[in-house]
Amino acid sequence: MNIEANQLEKAVVLKLIGRMDAENASEFDEACEVWISQGAKHLIADVDELRYVSSMGLRSFLTVAQKLKKVSGSLIICGLHGLPRQVFEMTRLIDLFPIFDTPQEALATL
Amino acid sequence: MSHSFERLSLPAQVQSVREFHRFVRGGAGAAGLESEDMDKLDLVLEEILVNIARYAYEGGAGDVEVAYATDGGSLLVEVTDGGRSFNPLEAAPPDLALGLADRPVGGLGVLLVKQIVGSLRYRRENGRNTVSFRFPGPEVSASST
Repeated sequence: MNIEANQLEKAVVLKLIGRMDAENASEFDEACEVWISQGAKHLIADVDELRYVSSMGLRSFLTVAQKLKKVSGSLIICGLHGLPRQVFEMTRLIDLFPIFDTPQEALATL
Repeated sequence: MSHSFERLSLPAQVQSVREFHRFVRGGAGAAGLESEDMDKLDLVLEEILVNIARYAYEGGAGDVEVAYATDGGSLLVEVTDGGRSFNPLEAAPPDLALGLADRPVGGLGVLLVKQIVGSLRYRRENGRNTVSFRFPGPEVSASST
């Protein structure tokens, strides 16, 4: 999995590319932790090019979202489709995150 | 009807999962699975293997074996370890109705496995756990999205 970060005025967009599995999911936590420690309140995970996520990845998404909720922030998810979307639906995590088609749509709500 | 199983044994650790994926994809290709179904099969295997890596040997070292056989357009898969007795079918399901702040971050792996394969089986024999399933299971069609 590759993570490309783009800091914008209202949020940091983290584009996730490839496969998020037990071996690399912690890289997402660590990347988010850096931005949160620098004061970011809203993170946008753009998963349009993420084709695989396992429960260890879900654990990362939940952990980051819970941290941000405590500082009145949010983890927003964009571009959810394919297997990652099915995984979010099966676990009903899809009800717990703000979901948008694109980062632009998410940014317009902040 | 007996099947001829291919077998691979590796250390029960998270770093073995990708090697098992490559191994089983050989059989998945022979069974004619579509790319999206192969990803689902990877997911089921990863969840079972990660549980074993984290809990079966309670901090000690041990091996885990994955075996597969093709059966028409499906794969029969068996995952065996020599760790403590653990039946994933008896794992308490997580409460999916909880809100974000209260939702435990773990426990979702077994749920995903059960939802995807449907026909998970477990047996304990000679001090070893074996989880087996057919993929795609009867509840999963290749065209489901």
